[in-house]
Amino acid sequence: MIGVQDFIGYYDWTFEYLRRNFGEQAVRDYWVRAISLDSQTHARELIVGKGFDGMYEYWAHTLAMEEAGYTFDRGDDYFRIDMVDCPSKGHLIQRGLAAYHDYCEHCIGWIKPLMDDAGFVINHEHNHAGQCWWEMRRAGDRLTAPPPNRGPNDVRNLPGWRQAQHDVFLNSERLEDDADDAGAAHPGGRA
Amino acid sequence: MSAGDFYYAINATFRFVHDTYGKEALVDYWTSMAHGYHADVAARFRAGGLDEAQRYWADYFAHEPGGDVRVDLTERGVEIDVRDCPAIRWLKAGGREIVPYYCEHCHYVSTAIADQAGMRFALAGGGGTCHQLFSRGGGEA
Repeated sequence: MIGVQDFIGYYDWTFEYLRRNFGEQAVRDYWVRAISLDSQTHARELIVGKGFDGMYEYWAHTLAMEEAGYTFDRGDDYFRIDMVDCPSKGHLIQRGLAAYHDYCEHCIGWIKPLMDDAGFVINHEHNHAGQCWWEMRRAGDRLTAPPPNRGPNDVRNLPGWRQAQHDVFLNSERLEDDADDAGAAHPGGRA
Repeated sequence: MSAGDFYYAINATFRFVHDTYGKEALVDYWTSMAHGYHADVAARFRAGGLDEAQRYWADYFAHEPGGDVRVDLTERGVEIDVRDCPAIRWLKAGGREIVPYYCEHCHYVSTAIADQAGMRFALAGGGGTCHQLFSRGGGEA
């Protein structure tokens, strides 16, 4: 039986299977159709229906179930997650698994379509080492740079934060520049 | 405890591959997974025989969320008596539309694992209850 205890391993393997057999676009299509619109209908229902409250409800449930290391932060205009120990990426790192070339991309792959439909934009950065931050804001509330330091729970304060490659997203669009460059140039900027 | 909501993704993955690329592609996905991702499991079975297969499946089902599965080593082989499949239970409890071919993955994946290990696999039933047999010489489940 294909069970859930080692799901992350063959989730990663599945990305590479799809890429190898049907191309990179098939992986993107899979994240949208299979994960965002099918598997995660419970997340979609909560977030489209309840906004920030729904985000809290969904991720409080799922991150507890996955035994992640994380904190939440709520402001009037944002919902934030600081992930210090991603159980998903951590599972792969611990076992030396990396079938697909960019496992972390799957989160944006399924969450962005959901947030688009729910009327939110994503500000996000991950370091491919099991650490990331997310700030969801209302669609009209655009930033010009990554948000300011959010205090002691901000994952960007961790000594090991700056390692490997970083991918950064502002207003649901990928930044080509490194996060430090963007953040140093315009810390906490808003459009 | 494993995150049972991942069963939703497994069900959705089967539907995506089937609806986008067809049933043959879905069967290829299952058998490729058995030959690729599960190659180490097959190697364990080949090296450790039915004893190892019994240990593996007993431990595996013990770590799935819920369900009622008994795994015994008998004179016929490793008999897996699925009285209440954890996947089907979780999907039903979540109100999910289970793809009609969901249970076929056990047949294709385990058959391919058994082939690599020099064993035979048989399965009877489905829909939440089934009987599976890993053996050396074959036989009905």
